[in-house]
Amino acid sequence: MRTFGTLLKNELKLSIRNMNMVIFAIIMPLLVLVILGFLYGTKSAAGTAYTFLDQSFGALCTISICAGGLMGLPLVVAEYRERKILKRFQVTPVSPVMLLAVEFTIYVIYAVLSMMTLLPVAKLFWNVTIHGSWLAFLGSWMLTMVSTLSIGMMVGGIAKNEKTASVIACVLYFPMLIFSGATLPFEVMPEMMQKIIRVFPMTQGIQLMKETSLGLPAGSVWLPITVMGTVTVLCTGIAVICFKWE
Amino acid sequence: MQEALKVEQLSKSYGNLLVLDSLNLCVRQNTVFGLLGANGAGKTTAIECILGTKKADRGSISVLGRDPHKDRRNLFQEVGVQFQEGDYQPEIKVSELCEETACLYKSPSDWKSLCKQFGIKDKVNRTVKSLSGGERQRLFIVLALIPDPKLVFLDELTTGLDAKARRDVWKILENLKSKGLTIFLTSHFMDEVEALCDEICILKNGRAVFCGTATQAKELCSCEKFEDAYLAITGEEGIE
Repeated sequence: MRTFGTLLKNELKLSIRNMNMVIFAIIMPLLVLVILGFLYGTKSAAGTAYTFLDQSFGALCTISICAGGLMGLPLVVAEYRERKILKRFQVTPVSPVMLLAVEFTIYVIYAVLSMMTLLPVAKLFWNVTIHGSWLAFLGSWMLTMVSTLSIGMMVGGIAKNEKTASVIACVLYFPMLIFSGATLPFEVMPEMMQKIIRVFPMTQGIQLMKETSLGLPAGSVWLPITVMGTVTVLCTGIAVICFKWE
Repeated sequence: MQEALKVEQLSKSYGNLLVLDSLNLCVRQNTVFGLLGANGAGKTTAIECILGTKKADRGSISVLGRDPHKDRRNLFQEVGVQFQEGDYQPEIKVSELCEETACLYKSPSDWKSLCKQFGIKDKVNRTVKSLSGGERQRLFIVLALIPDPKLVFLDELTTGLDAKARRDVWKILENLKSKGLTIFLTSHFMDEVEALCDEICILKNGRAVFCGTATQAKELCSCEKFEDAYLAITGEEGIE
């Protein structure tokens, strides 16, 4: 526990000093919220009782998850491998699980901070509220976060160097960020496209968060839960078993 | 006396290139052992195979009685390592790097007093990348000693240090040896090897061409200076 605490403290400091994640995981979601807020204000979404921002709140919370899980986490781990920092760790008693857990926790912290900054701003200026159960919303948020971060761990755990990790991360990050509904609302996309992007675990997560935040009768909770659960178990397993020090 | 390290018939090749050829090493506890050889002779590969960061093709390795592959986490509680090209997180400070290393061990040494011993106490709040080459080298020796190890590996330990700093490092190492530490080092400075090492092994193209003490090497070649003996041994074929 002492090892975990010290590593977490130091790695978090380094991550903040680097500023990338502060910008992409904290400031950017806020910026998107403000832009959407000015564009749509408190207008209600077409033919529904809640506002457009109510509907998008869940998606806004995933921008930070996306940035951490698909850019931050894999790039840091791959960079440590390329710079032979992991090799230095290899000749110490530390386990790969401990190192991955530390990095994982850092991006959980970013996701939590992002939600904690989004919520008051959205509430204060555009009166956004969670219509459904808080517990269900937080549950679906957590599931989305854990599954996305596990993808990041897998990429970071096995990518040879920073460049490979960066290519894989970009291939995953940008389509998910743009098309899964994290930045552009899922609803404005053509139906054909909606069908294709439903396969992203991220899309499933966002849909589930939307349903729970709006308090809609959840039609098929089991599909998203199964998709995200499988992704989490698979990716975490691969990350730990195939972990490369060098 | 018990062995801290025993290597038998260690071989390793990269593709068709044979880097280590049936290497046998034995390091007794509480001694200083020097692995010597020109650049590319296989020193670093030997260390990496012994530590388990590279997999040997053949041979058996026992470090403090343990298998470095199977028993990595227990072994490295007692073994400190300084790699030739140690690296660190880009923005990390000296204090953070020491703290981060110390937290990995059950009973680490006090890194602040180690930094003081090695003359970098006033640098602990600086970033590692802002240190001079010599200061960084001393920091990496500090990191290798943080575990309070029984055995320490130092790969080119004093490269980049000035004459005074080298003497200081020797003194500290001799002091640690008197407290029971076993030291495995590589070096290109023959004065250092002669001053520190109880036993040496000279590698040439992956084969051990001499094993013994510095005095034996000098006698073998009838040289007065150890450096001349070293050059004679590595320059000629077939001296065993």
